[in-house]
Amino acid sequence: MVGKDLDRSVAEGNDIVIDICDLRKSYRLGDIEVPILHGIDLCVKKGEFVAIMGPSGSGKSTLMNMIGCLDRPTSGKVVLMGKDTLAISDNELAELRGFEIGFVFQSFNLIPRLSAYENVLLPTYSNSRKGHNSPQRAKDLLKLVGLDDRMDHRPTELSGGQRQRVAIARSLINEPSLILADEPTGNLDSKTSEEILGIFSELHRNGCTIVMITHDPEMEKYVDRVVHIKDGYIKNN
Amino acid sequence: MDIRQALVIALGSIRSAKLRSALTMLGIIIGVAAVVANVSLGTSFNQYFTDELGSLGSNFIIIYSQDVNIFYDAQLEVIRNTPGVVGASAFNQQTAAVTYMSATRQIDVQGVSADAQEISNLPVASGSFLTDKDRYVAVLGKEVAEEKFGRDVPVKNYIDITFRRNDGTTVTQKFRVKGVLEGEDNTFVQGGPDRDVAIYIPIRTMNEILGVEDYSGFSAKTASAESVRPVSEEVNRRLARNLGVPARDIDNEDAKPYRIFNQADILEQLDMLSNSLTILITIIALVALLVGSIGIMNIMLVTVTERTKEIGLLKSLGYTRSDILTLFMLESIVVGVIGGILGTLLGMAGSFAVETYLDIPRVFPVYLIFLGFIISVIVGLIAGVYPASRAASLDPVEALRHE
Repeated sequence: MVGKDLDRSVAEGNDIVIDICDLRKSYRLGDIEVPILHGIDLCVKKGEFVAIMGPSGSGKSTLMNMIGCLDRPTSGKVVLMGKDTLAISDNELAELRGFEIGFVFQSFNLIPRLSAYENVLLPTYSNSRKGHNSPQRAKDLLKLVGLDDRMDHRPTELSGGQRQRVAIARSLINEPSLILADEPTGNLDSKTSEEILGIFSELHRNGCTIVMITHDPEMEKYVDRVVHIKDGYIKNN
Repeated sequence: MDIRQALVIALGSIRSAKLRSALTMLGIIIGVAAVVANVSLGTSFNQYFTDELGSLGSNFIIIYSQDVNIFYDAQLEVIRNTPGVVGASAFNQQTAAVTYMSATRQIDVQGVSADAQEISNLPVASGSFLTDKDRYVAVLGKEVAEEKFGRDVPVKNYIDITFRRNDGTTVTQKFRVKGVLEGEDNTFVQGGPDRDVAIYIPIRTMNEILGVEDYSGFSAKTASAESVRPVSEEVNRRLARNLGVPARDIDNEDAKPYRIFNQADILEQLDMLSNSLTILITIIALVALLVGSIGIMNIMLVTVTERTKEIGLLKSLGYTRSDILTLFMLESIVVGVIGGILGTLLGMAGSFAVETYLDIPRVFPVYLIFLGFIISVIVGLIAGVYPASRAASLDPVEALRHE
């Protein structure tokens, strides 16, 4: 249903989407160096659905920012789709985010002035894949998440679940190698959460690689693998 | 990123806060309108001065004596014989008591010869102008004939003029009204006396009554507008030599017993006056523009703060620094340009209204439209640089966390 084109990176023969090696991150607080991540090793293969679980303050958001190329590690290696994020420029990092990573946030992060359709199209204004008919693809993706009759609605005219569907459609617009979801059901009731997780499951079945940050143990039944993180260490892998 | 798409986003953002955008634009609108209106009005005034001066008599030179017993017929001949001069006439002037039907008014009485009609451009509305054979006849300015005495003074009626002589005695003489001049439509630009409030009598009659032989001045005419300046200089040179003024004092107004003016000089002075006024008001308008651009900058800074989270989102979606910079610069420029277009229209309407009210020529130089546009682009550009660079350099992680 998602479309065969999502299998693209398999066809390229690149099986490892995320390869993290001895990742350390610390922040400066005045003169004190505060370590957040103490040497994380993590490998996510193409087509995997991985949940990163941990209590708040465990460093899972920091890890998520590293994977999402929003931040750079203090030391260690984060290799995404074969690219070392420490070795590339800010613009290349932005390009990596635009093409290879689809973000889904807890608070949806839709732009209130734009319609659902325009929100889905927003990433393509900066990066759009050659040969893509982005406007058509945006409509198809909104259909895929069941919002074909809500395309011209603004986010304020949509329910929480509908907003998250728009955000999922947006994350898929540039056909990314990886969907990075940060507590995507955190602001939703349980029934809506199930619907959203249903969509993720379906994407996964169609070959999408998904990394989801959560603190909800219920997620375990949807995912291939759970990575527990606590105090900046991975507990099992 | 594609400019058209960036424009769509920028316009959407401006639309989403209509009142705020409108108030921000107001500063630019007022500034641009002021600049456009001032320059347009300045141009119109220049045109007006030129037109009005033309109506005074074309290509004229006027020479006033600064003392008595300077100008006689010999000096008139000097002027007449100067190459390029096609006509010259002498005049005398005195403010005298004029009585009509028991009402007495102080009126400017001009003694002139017949050729003054052509040289000083004195068209007659009724009756006819003086001839050199006339003795006790007068030609009245329009205001003298219609308003001064509270009733009309028609042709063929008689007025009494009381002159003061140099020895302190007064002489009263009866004059027949021979003609009434056409009204002057300018009351603003004066190269000579205001003809509406003057009475013209034959100069020989006037000098005879006053018991003098000298003149208070000469007016002369040249063949073309282009020759006014060189001929005026030549007249000045010849007159100075004739009166024994040393050649080195030729341009020293204080060393000569007379003043010489020509149409070109007067135009130039009026141009300078209106130009310096235009410059002054335009500087004030530029200050208004500066305030307007600070307004845009202020609002853009607020917008950046308000949209911190949105900027974080855009970065997470793959927007680069320069994409964000483009977006915010464009928004600032669009605010400036919309303000500039409205301001130009307002400035056009304003100058049109003022020009209609003052009844001066409605001249609108087309370059002002481009000027208004360019000014507003520049204002938007300058106002946007700092806020946009702040937005572009936000840390995506921090920005996304912002509430």
